[in-house]
Amino acid sequence: MMDRSPKPPEALMRAIAQDLKPVRPSPRPLQLALRMAPIALLVSSVILLAVGLRADSGILGPLLTWGASAAQFSVAIALVWIAAHESRPAGRLPRQMVYNAAATAFLVVVSITLLTFSKSPASEPLLPLPPRVNEMLRFKPWIMGFGCGIGSTVAGGILVLFFSWVFRNSLATRPTAAGALYGAGAGLAINAGWRIACPISTPWHSLGAHGAAIIATVILGALIGRYLGNHRLYIGRTRA
Amino acid sequence: MTRYQGGSLEAFEEIYARLAPGVRRYLVHLAGGSEIADDLLQETFLQMHRSRAAYNPGYEARPWVFGLARNVFLMNRRAARRWARVYESREDLPEFPVLPDVDRLGSQDEIRRGIANLRPEQAEALLLHHEWGFSFEEVAGMLGISAAAARARASRGMADLRAALNRQQRARA
Repeated sequence: MMDRSPKPPEALMRAIAQDLKPVRPSPRPLQLALRMAPIALLVSSVILLAVGLRADSGILGPLLTWGASAAQFSVAIALVWIAAHESRPAGRLPRQMVYNAAATAFLVVVSITLLTFSKSPASEPLLPLPPRVNEMLRFKPWIMGFGCGIGSTVAGGILVLFFSWVFRNSLATRPTAAGALYGAGAGLAINAGWRIACPISTPWHSLGAHGAAIIATVILGALIGRYLGNHRLYIGRTRA
Repeated sequence: MTRYQGGSLEAFEEIYARLAPGVRRYLVHLAGGSEIADDLLQETFLQMHRSRAAYNPGYEARPWVFGLARNVFLMNRRAARRWARVYESREDLPEFPVLPDVDRLGSQDEIRRGIANLRPEQAEALLLHHEWGFSFEEVAGMLGISAAAARARASRGMADLRAALNRQQRARA
């Protein structure tokens, strides 16, 4: 009997045969997100190890110091998990769930900021630096804001680059959204460590400087996700 | 799929033989033309090959490949910005599937035209479930919606299609 099953075209077979090296299958989204956790924890702890715990941690208590940061870190890992789902062509989560996760992340950051400020309205930069430098920072608070903003953006950017490498095989239908999600995860993870090292609690500093860093990592993730998505799936050039 | 990830060319040919006809019909539905669907089909399998490491053997391969085909179509649409032209060309759909559930309500041509006149999201959910046999959970995963929304889209699409076909029958009578 004649075999009537469709055969791949010659050109396709040639392209496949050129690269048939065995590959390691991707882990499930939850496994992938959990594997990211230690790296994210390491990068977000760098500032804590460098500067030390904020001076008012005794006033804040363990719940608002470590507990709030743990909650923020958990939300960050949840965002990476959603990004991993979004990166699968057949495992996307409902759009509403993605929006809810983004709204939850925003509310967690704002609530922790306001709770921290209400418990300890610290506005004095008390860093392990020479008194002269601390005095200057006290009179020029924008320097502190600039330092926190740039510093956490750089740390978040490193984490975004790492996540982008992990998600390089992403098959997201909306690569920009997937990138924004893991970018937000990176930003939140960094802020979880940064907030317990930063000695200033004022909302303008926390939301302005630290919040801007989170937004920067979201934008960076979105841009990288978009670039990778277009680079992988832009087929106009192959068909032209 | 696991053998294919291990580097077997025969496994790729088996996957192609099993999935290509269904994926092609899905792409014909999405793109509204068989010529563009053939190009997209090859691109889908090429993308599958490039991204074979992204597949987890714990999941079904079929929805994964259909989802990938949808991705390829959407990215192509974005890149080429010719959705409007493609969509208008739906008047002539030689290989548009005919759902077995409604094949007594009209001729093949009427059913095809009825599906083409549905809202795109309803037609897609309807065909993925009734024509290609995906569960509502699988349809939901491909479209980024909840399973309940997938069920609602498919059933509304089916109801609209039946209503349109009944109207045509009454008009003929």
